[in-house]
Amino acid sequence: MAREITYIAAIMEGIHQEMARDDDVLLIGQSVGGSPEDPFVAAFGPDRVRVTPISETAEIGMAAGAALAGKRPVVDCTMAEFLLVAMDQVVNEANRFHYMSGGRVTAPLVLKAGYGFTAGWAGQHTGSIYGMFMGVPGLKVALPSTPADAKGLMATAIRDDNPVLFLHHYLLTLEAGDVPEGEHLVPFGQAAVVRPGHDVTLVATGWTVHRALEAAEELAAEGVSVEVIDPRTIAPLDVDTILASVERTGRLALVDQATKHASVSAIIAAEVAEAGFASLRAPIVQVTALDAPIAYAKPMEDFVLPDVGKIVAGVRRVVDATVSGHNTAAAR
Amino acid sequence: MTTAVSVDTQVLRDLLATMWRIRAFEERVGALKRADEVHGLIHLSIGGEGVAAAVCRQLRDDDAVYSGHRAHGHAVAKGAPLGRAMAELMGRGGGLCQGMGGSMHLVDVAHGFLGATGVVGGNIPLALGSALAARQQGSDAVAVVFFGDGAVQAGLFTESVNLATLWRLPVLLVCENNGFAEFTPRSAHTTVERVSDVVAPYPLPRQTVDGNEVADVWTAFSGLLARARRGEGPALLECLTHRLRGHYEGDPDRYREAVSAEDRQRKDPILRLQRAGHEAGWLTGSESFESDARAEVEEAVTWARSSPFPSSVPEELR
Amino acid sequence: MDRTAMYRAMVRIREFEERVKRTFAEHPGVIRGHTHLADGAEASIVGSIAAIRPGDHVMATYRCHGYPIALGSDTTAMMAEIYGRANGLCGGYGGSMHLADPERGFLGTSGIVGQSIPQATGAAYAAQVRGAGDVVLCFFGDGASKQGAFHESLNIASLWKLPIVFVMENNSYSVSVRVEQEDANAAAGEPLATKAVAYSMPGVTIDGGDPDLVHTTVAEAVARARAGEGPTLVESLVYRLSAHGNSIAPPGVPLHYPEHEAVTVFGDVAEYEAALRGDPVPRFRGALVTSGALDAATADAIAAEAADEMQRAVDGALAGPDPDPADALRFVVA
Ligand SMILES: Cc1ncc(C[n+]2csc(CCOP(=O)(O)OP(=O)(O)O)c2C)c(N)n1
Ligand SMILES: Cc1ncc(C[n+]2csc(CCOP(=O)(O)OP(=O)(O)O)c2C)c(N)n1
Ligand SMILES: [Mg+2]
Ligand SMILES: [Mg+2]
Repeated sequence: MAREITYIAAIMEGIHQEMARDDDVLLIGQSVGGSPEDPFVAAFGPDRVRVTPISETAEIGMAAGAALAGKRPVVDCTMAEFLLVAMDQVVNEANRFHYMSGGRVTAPLVLKAGYGFTAGWAGQHTGSIYGMFMGVPGLKVALPSTPADAKGLMATAIRDDNPVLFLHHYLLTLEAGDVPEGEHLVPFGQAAVVRPGHDVTLVATGWTVHRALEAAEELAAEGVSVEVIDPRTIAPLDVDTILASVERTGRLALVDQATKHASVSAIIAAEVAEAGFASLRAPIVQVTALDAPIAYAKPMEDFVLPDVGKIVAGVRRVVDATVSGHNTAAAR
Repeated sequence: MTTAVSVDTQVLRDLLATMWRIRAFEERVGALKRADEVHGLIHLSIGGEGVAAAVCRQLRDDDAVYSGHRAHGHAVAKGAPLGRAMAELMGRGGGLCQGMGGSMHLVDVAHGFLGATGVVGGNIPLALGSALAARQQGSDAVAVVFFGDGAVQAGLFTESVNLATLWRLPVLLVCENNGFAEFTPRSAHTTVERVSDVVAPYPLPRQTVDGNEVADVWTAFSGLLARARRGEGPALLECLTHRLRGHYEGDPDRYREAVSAEDRQRKDPILRLQRAGHEAGWLTGSESFESDARAEVEEAVTWARSSPFPSSVPEELR
Repeated sequence: MDRTAMYRAMVRIREFEERVKRTFAEHPGVIRGHTHLADGAEASIVGSIAAIRPGDHVMATYRCHGYPIALGSDTTAMMAEIYGRANGLCGGYGGSMHLADPERGFLGTSGIVGQSIPQATGAAYAAQVRGAGDVVLCFFGDGASKQGAFHESLNIASLWKLPIVFVMENNSYSVSVRVEQEDANAAAGEPLATKAVAYSMPGVTIDGGDPDLVHTTVAEAVARARAGEGPTLVESLVYRLSAHGNSIAPPGVPLHYPEHEAVTVFGDVAEYEAALRGDPVPRFRGALVTSGALDAATADAIAAEAADEMQRAVDGALAGPDPDPADALRFVVA
């Protein structure tokens, strides 16, 4: 049975259900379990749910140690940027252990953090910084865009035997959607085709998925049929679904809230250029944030971010363009 | 000079045997490094065997041990089979980590050696995590983390001390203070000479002992260990040691004075314990600790050499 | 700064913060993101800054409105920054959490807990190298002392005898976590200044609600620092009179200032009311007037002038133009 709940409620429900299912799941962080009335403390006790000092290195390092010792900690890191003070623990410790031990140990832990809070939070709390984690071997990265995926990916993250960075988008926090009530798992590495189409493939993540859908709606009125794909996890990245789509549409546009050189879109563009070149009938277009930090004032914030208008324009460019000599390429 | 009398002679004999196993292992590793059979950056703990032996020989397999870049001795003392440890250093498929970790990343889960790290201090918080897990499992197991004096100036050290103390975690922080971090003396890193003084602000027991006096390390650690097992929380044990070799194998070691023969008698924990044993009469001169250890290490080398190089990624990782 | 000037600065900070807070109700949507107020810490801020001279530097956290006011920054430009206007102190790029006014010695802030401590330590290193006898005041919260950066920085500052004073404003809270829930010293009933022992550095704990005491304490530490005798940790006990910050919500949801966490999280109304009774601003006024150092009429005039000034700040900020959107691409690199 599904019912409507918000994105954030879905995430917390995912954690709650996993904690009920498996006693080894712990929840620690600076904003959890602060009071006895906290629903997690009430349900699971103050040992499994703990408020921590502002010591990210110790918090995440401890999670790694507890994971080695058989627990499945979830660390609520609040904002993605706070991971940066503990970068060693995020990209150079737990994620290496399984490999360096020749498969002898596992470090199942989840780092939950919000990102992309482009709502006047200025330069240090607004980043879409997944690009710096997605290529790190041993680390998985989930970027849910809907409440249902948020719950399902969280449950999968907790059951996964690897460190998982679960990045939820702050601008989606209160967006509501249908979410299955009981156990709900969304597999990693399986993109969702969120809107089928045949003229152009449009890949987006997180908050930009919804902007892409709005753009697709607008373009449909012009007779352009857009297929919108949400990879849902960017490590592992489901390149196959995107390639299959591009094979049908021959055109690819990408939306990303990150700056281009730190984006998922650049990686997908490279994958498609490498493995799907023959399918392409036009150059790939990327609609990403402009190369600047996020300013405080709204006009400047808006200026650098992708929006529906920019996505529509980007898709039109792919649709209108043709690669000269395309037939030769396709025939090869 | 010695306080060895208070520890049972059976224990002391065992510690001597353990120290010889580490010494023989590491001397052989040094030779194999020069012969290019062991690869990568190698840090030997020669001179520090006393700490490894006195701490690890009091632990159980379900107690977690973490270590840093100078980790061979801790792994051996915790029970890692010498052949598999040697094979790991040689990058063989039969190694503790199937050749994927090497010297700075030894792991032996079966004996509770949860791992070494090449990042200075990098796994101190991990030990807290193991301690937290042990407590939640309702067990009286503890976690021990070995680190050098260099790690103490890193932020995560204090983050961890605060948390361990606040949450009364069964974790024992064992610092091997050899007065140097790489080629830099401690005085260039901090105004606080004793690591135990760095944790002075925090309400946890702290003790500094002469790490070359194995019996002292044993006695101090056993007290702190018992507390931790009883659920009375963490402690810091600082062991003053001397690195008898360079920072790494191949280090020209020109930044400090060489150890005189006389000094060596004092700074070598093995020589010291043997002298004490002879004085006290529990060693007769007919013991074969050293030769037994060297023979065992030779066997380990033979075994490691016969282990094939991994041809591909191990099964579990595929 | 004499005592009257200190009082004036305290009143101006309070009035500024009140106007920031009122903006959420009076001009909804004008302030975006997250603001953190200094109300309750005025005595600590002003007493500290009264102890330094031009050429010295100050660094702080996201809770940063008080310092520039005490250093003489233009309050209209500050308010305009918080309103995101082109005439803002930083052109609308930084907002409430990232004020900077280098000409007045305010080198800036970090929104990331603890991270300005090493930066301030670096500024002190620069001062030492410059050799002009300048010092740095480094302000941060109690929570920040749980960051590794605190430990690393205090060790180096002590080792290198850097000219810096670490002023920890202990307001007993990190957002909604009480200090004894996260600090082993606090949990053991010890002051946080105890931590200085680990760096062989003097550490003192003082009533941060008494500007005279803060002034003498920090002045002594500043004198030590100037004399090349190294850093000091001053734990200044304050109570923030507002919630940690305004409410956090996605765009479209109106923002507001909730009640203090003592009430909302811990249901401890008595604690909060006691803090109100100890409010350092009326307390200092009382001390000045009772001792005859200031007459009531002058005190009233100071309050009235501050009210006028901050009204002008609000008006000037509201009238300020929006930044040109394309200016978003300026200053990405220098
Ligand atoms: C975070 C980090 N910084 C620097 C290094 C390089 N490094 C390797 S060993 C070492 C010295 C460590 O000194 P100490 O902790 O005293 O251990 P010791 O070598 O004396 O046993 C350094 C700086 C590192 N591995 N990790
Ligand atoms: C590294 C990091 N972790 C977490 C946060 C979120 N955060 C912002 S302010 C704050 C509380 C800091 O408390 P304290 O240092 O006492 O300063 P106060 O706000 O009380 O002045 C926290 C946890 C952050 N900004 N940076
Ligand atoms: Mg050392
Ligand atoms: Mg505080």
